[in-house]
Amino acid sequence: MTAARLSSDLFNAALFAYIAAMVLSFAYLAFRKRPFHTAALIVGWIGVAANVGSIVARGVAAHRTPWGNMYEYSVLLACLVVLAYLVIVEWRYKVQTVGGFVFAFAIFTMAMATSFFYVGPTDLLPALNSYWRQIHVTSMIVATSLLATGCVFTILYLVKVRSERRELSAMRSQDPPPILGGAVDADAPPDYVPGADDPVGEAAAPGQRRGLPPSATLDRLAYRFIQFGFPIWTFGVMCGAIWAQQTWGRYWGWDPKETWSFITWVIFACYLHARATAGWRGAKAAGIALVGFVSLFVTYYAVNLWIAGLHTYAK
Amino acid sequence: MSSPASRLTLRQSVALVWRTLRSMRTALVLLGLLALASAVGSLLPQIPNSPERVSAYLVDHPFWGELFLRGGFFDVFGSWWFALVTALLFISLVACLIPRSRAMLRTIRQRPVQAKELEALPHFASFAVDGEPEVATARARSVLRRRMYRVAVAPDGRGVAAEKGALRETGSLTFHWAFLLLLIAVIVGKGTGYTGHATIVEGQTWTDAAFNYDGDLRTGRFSSGQHTGAGIHLISFQDAFRTSGIPMDFTSEVELLDPDGTPVRRDDVRINHPVLFDGLRIFQYGFGWAPVVTVRDRTTTLSDGPVVMVQDAGPDGNQLAAPGEGFVKLPTLRPQYAIQLELIPDSTAFIQSLMTGVPQPMTQVRAPFMRYTVWKGVLTDPSLSGLDTRFMRKVSTGIVGRGWTVDVARGCVISSGSGSGLPTGLARTTRCPAGGPAPALTLSFPELRRYSRLQISKDTTVPYVLGAAILILLGLVAAMYSSRRKVWVRAEAREEGTVLQVGGFALQRKDRFEEEFPKLVAELRAATGGDRPAREPAEAGAR
Repeated sequence: MTAARLSSDLFNAALFAYIAAMVLSFAYLAFRKRPFHTAALIVGWIGVAANVGSIVARGVAAHRTPWGNMYEYSVLLACLVVLAYLVIVEWRYKVQTVGGFVFAFAIFTMAMATSFFYVGPTDLLPALNSYWRQIHVTSMIVATSLLATGCVFTILYLVKVRSERRELSAMRSQDPPPILGGAVDADAPPDYVPGADDPVGEAAAPGQRRGLPPSATLDRLAYRFIQFGFPIWTFGVMCGAIWAQQTWGRYWGWDPKETWSFITWVIFACYLHARATAGWRGAKAAGIALVGFVSLFVTYYAVNLWIAGLHTYAK
Repeated sequence: MSSPASRLTLRQSVALVWRTLRSMRTALVLLGLLALASAVGSLLPQIPNSPERVSAYLVDHPFWGELFLRGGFFDVFGSWWFALVTALLFISLVACLIPRSRAMLRTIRQRPVQAKELEALPHFASFAVDGEPEVATARARSVLRRRMYRVAVAPDGRGVAAEKGALRETGSLTFHWAFLLLLIAVIVGKGTGYTGHATIVEGQTWTDAAFNYDGDLRTGRFSSGQHTGAGIHLISFQDAFRTSGIPMDFTSEVELLDPDGTPVRRDDVRINHPVLFDGLRIFQYGFGWAPVVTVRDRTTTLSDGPVVMVQDAGPDGNQLAAPGEGFVKLPTLRPQYAIQLELIPDSTAFIQSLMTGVPQPMTQVRAPFMRYTVWKGVLTDPSLSGLDTRFMRKVSTGIVGRGWTVDVARGCVISSGSGSGLPTGLARTTRCPAGGPAPALTLSFPELRRYSRLQISKDTTVPYVLGAAILILLGLVAAMYSSRRKVWVRAEAREEGTVLQVGGFALQRKDRFEEEFPKLVAELRAATGGDRPAREPAEAGAR
């Protein structure tokens, strides 16, 4: 079997593993049965292994680092998103109920890769033949995976905030009012709440056992991911500028891909500033992060699919 | 108008404007506007990037096109409103940064302030220790110093106030100030620099002067218009392709000359490997064919030299498969003449394209030849690359191989050299009859050279832009990953012995501090001999 064939077989294996992991994760979210979660983790890690294998085989087939076109970026992106979730969220923060959404994102990315961007393992144009390519592309993909994961949590946060508000107003409208009625401040900044990271699985308090983790946890996860991804994005854009200076003779030329990476940067800068400003925390900042999510997608996909420019390696 | 009330109003309104500019809300709105303007700039074609698409847009959408053109939407990044948003953003930034920087300097000069009632802090521990309170305090101080805290000992020698994480604000300020540096460096560099393209045929020398660029010289707004006068002599151009036709590398071997023409050094300009010379950055940009063509009439040589050929395969075609096109114009003859040339550098690949119907890239020189078309009449097109044949008449056509001389007036071959290697199917051309009068107009194709297109840029502030970018990144990382912590230690002499109280709180990453604080307490305990059993229960951790 050739390396190219192996690469595409492993790609399919990874895709099916992620689909299975997604189903199992959602099953765990819905029914809270421990075996679902264990199985999702195992299948998820198998998926990551297949994904890594697919990337390595691709590199062997093309005789170069396998991130040179949109298909290869997307495969790497899916791998990093799942890896970031498994390591940071599951292992570091011990939040176990949101995996399904992350797997769904990885599946979307891989589906886009096969349906819109597939090309065989080929050589690169000489302009792409620079070690700045490795640094630029690697950091952009890592940053994209972190920012995108952060945005998945932002969406979950907004969903959870709504349901918490509903529960709260339901509580308030009860007659007679519950003891908590006046004491819970729905507009309080979703800053760190001690115990917000406590396990929400079977070990959690009975009140926390249904549905998503508390909004404070989701908000903090979103913030951590975006905060982690933002400097890497900055670094990646700067490396791109250095490479552009070497290849095209200018470090910045408002090429669509450059412009959109700048727009994404500006929006996430807004988010980080809003997070640090009273009156903008919570849902407003989350709204900005959502705009950043859209911009990230335009930068990553739309520029290559619809807008002509110098970054047309995807064709 | 000099009544105190109106003066107050004026001052109030100025203060209001200043306050508004300084507010985070304004900064966020301005950042949003910047993002929005950039989005418009990427969705509409832009004059500096793709002027031909702007013209097409103007033709397709006359009303909106005109409107957009007037509003500067086809040059968003050079428009007054983009500059205005950027300027306002930077004014807002500076307005914010000056007081913050002052406060920062004050904080750095100040020593940490002592606190009372440590029990009230979010994190608290107390335990009995050995020795006098002053000794325990001194030990605690050195522990905190070791952990990178800035420390101040209380006047009575029984307390320590400690802080760390000043790097957070320093980093944030560095990050923001560096943006100002970046903006200035970019404006100065782009404003005083220039960029353009130079076409140099192998064996020729090009000099940096405004009129030597291919008509696309872009000069900055504050440029003095001076050029360096440095010379670039192209020794040779080489390309390398894979068998699949995908290019591997392009190299221009150049000799660089002083303004007075003295050779300074040799260098290779390659893709991704620009050459820096005399303040100019020289980049490999393009390449093509330049056949040497000699045109004579009965008595004189009318034209002799390489003709730069343009390969145009349309938007989707492979440019390497397209024949090169060029012209020799003879304006001194009456009537005027023009010879249109079409170069096939690789006749083997050309024949393959004809047979298979699939255009083959022509990357090597294999029996090159040119098709010529001779036009007679009035030359109206002044440009070098085009030919307006409306007032001209076709005289003859034919082909000329390398090393051949042809009589273009009659369309026959005078001499075809030896072993030109042209395939017989193509070489079937009429020979001029021997004897007779000397030919009126002859064309020779003695050799085929290549030309290289180099991009020449002068931008003096690139190192400053890079420096500012590095500062931005360092500041960002410092601001995001350092967290401020405050810790106080108080030693008290009680009847049961000396008791050390430790209190602390974190301004950022409070969850991380929850793990840090017990470790700090354990270290303090070990350093002060606090591990002897305490008489009152010690407690450590979050409250």
